[in-house]
Amino acid sequence: MDIILGIRVKDSVIVATSKAFTRGISILKDNDDKTRTLNQFNLLAFTGDSGDTTQFAEYIQANIQLFSMRENTEMDSKSIASYIRQQLASSLRSRKPYQVQIMLGGLNKGIEPFLTIIDYLGTRTDLPYCAHGYAAFYTMSLLDHHYKENMSLEDGLRILKLCHEELDKRMPVDFKGLNVKVIDKDGVRDVEF
Amino acid sequence: MSTLASEYSNEVTHDVIEHRFNPYSDNGGTILGIAGEDFAVLAGDTRHTTGYSINSRYEPKVFNIGDDLLLTANGFQADGTALIKNFKNQLIQYHFNNDNKKMSIESSARLIQHLLYGKRFFPYYVHTILAGLDSEGKGSIYSFDPVGSYEREQCRAGGAAASLIMPFLDNQVNFKNQLDPETGNKKQLKYLKLEEVVELVRDAFSSATERHIHVGDGLEILIVTKEGVRTEYYPLKRD
Amino acid sequence: MVGKDCVAIACDLRLGSQSLGVSNNFEKVFQYGHVFMGLTGLASDVLTVHENFRMKTNLYKMREEREIEPESMANLVSTSLYEKRFGPWFVGPIVAGINSKSGKPFVCAFDFIGCIDYAKDFVVSGTAADQLYGMCEGLYEPNLEPEDLFETISQALLNAADRDALSGWGAVVYVITKDKVTKRYLKSRQD
Repeated sequence: MDIILGIRVKDSVIVATSKAFTRGISILKDNDDKTRTLNQFNLLAFTGDSGDTTQFAEYIQANIQLFSMRENTEMDSKSIASYIRQQLASSLRSRKPYQVQIMLGGLNKGIEPFLTIIDYLGTRTDLPYCAHGYAAFYTMSLLDHHYKENMSLEDGLRILKLCHEELDKRMPVDFKGLNVKVIDKDGVRDVEF
Repeated sequence: MSTLASEYSNEVTHDVIEHRFNPYSDNGGTILGIAGEDFAVLAGDTRHTTGYSINSRYEPKVFNIGDDLLLTANGFQADGTALIKNFKNQLIQYHFNNDNKKMSIESSARLIQHLLYGKRFFPYYVHTILAGLDSEGKGSIYSFDPVGSYEREQCRAGGAAASLIMPFLDNQVNFKNQLDPETGNKKQLKYLKLEEVVELVRDAFSSATERHIHVGDGLEILIVTKEGVRTEYYPLKRD
Repeated sequence: MVGKDCVAIACDLRLGSQSLGVSNNFEKVFQYGHVFMGLTGLASDVLTVHENFRMKTNLYKMREEREIEPESMANLVSTSLYEKRFGPWFVGPIVAGINSKSGKPFVCAFDFIGCIDYAKDFVVSGTAADQLYGMCEGLYEPNLEPEDLFETISQALLNAADRDALSGWGAVVYVITKDKVTKRYLKSRQD
């Protein structure tokens, strides 16, 4: 029941993930970070089978870094999204597919805000706002209602607040709050929430 | 049960063979009802099937049940026949108890709901449509699910090719997704003339016949107006 | 759908995971030169198969020094799908286009392992296939002009999608003539 939320606003992207790390019926950690920074302008958020998630995310992270070292150029968001999707799609027809859901937020070529979600099947969609898992059922209607094209970061965070309140109220288990990160022209940063 | 001969004796073993009786089957066919301003039509194809076999090319399934009402129950024919027979008996009782008063379509619909729900836990495996004129003389169609939940509608397709015909009806009877070319607003609803409705029904059935193997052979349309009930028959493709 | 010296191909825009609608801008019709392919089914495979055919048609173009024709595309799709006979792509493709040499309109559909269904009039695919068959069979007539073909295919798609819970959320229609392609986005019910 991990929560992953993303909102694309003017000039930046907001990515929020739940802090709880759950195994079975227990919450083992209340400051978990379900994201990995891929490069200056790209952040990967993930949920799914607990072993697969970090393994896959760090594999992607390493390969993106390897690419930039070899080619002496940073991979842009769209290329990263294509790469991740391709990895998941080929993993799907392997003996043991990665059970991970991915959300990629970033600034494409350091300019254009970009948000995409990819599930374990390799289904990719670029969206203005999105969520994985149960969180989608609670938050999509709020986002449908309040989201506007080219809204400011402040307004984006205000909608996120509404989503957070709704999740707090409706989610059957405590998810220990949200880790909120913003990707803008200065790179990836944490936001007090 | 099998007998095994051994060196010492004839051993008799009992293998338990499970038998399971399936009380339902599907006899294909499709039905369609459309209400007009002062008439209603109820149509059905006349093919009767089980699996890939055609049992009959003319087995009517839309009936004039008296009191200017048309009734059909499409799906498992035995259940359909039983339901209609049941309804007719109830209607005789009603006439006997109420000085031969005509049963209104509203009351007939409620009665059918009770007949269907009465078998809630062993349902009649049918999609039922009732057609007639309401108390104001307006054309009226009632459709039922197998356990009696029902609704009055302008038109309804049921049976094997319902999924093919229903969107066509939305488009051509209720003008769904159609705009007025002048104003760009939704196209105004209007009652169709009887001739237009009959043409629509024939088109719907020849389309369904083309793409559905359980539909074909013949089309029987029953039309109810204030003058009474009339039947028309049109052949359909027999392949 | 085939018209008089024209073809049309259309798709809805919904992407869903079971009951939840995920996206309302997931296009399922792709262009390869002057040939168009619509893909329904598992969304991941829709994307993968599309990427695959983009590669294959580009390689074809380089080798042959011309764009692929619809008839050749049909055979390419068929063999490519059958290649994966025992671990198939879960897609229901349709191909539409006009042969640039003969000017002949062409449509065909496939099952997920590549059996070709050639048709003179129309082909359909997806979760609303039944509804589409009913609509097309009822509305279609041969030799429609491009504008009338657009109206027919649009009404067929819209009304079929409205009777299917898993289809809708907007639509796209391409009308293709020998020297022009028109792409139109349709407004539709959002439920």
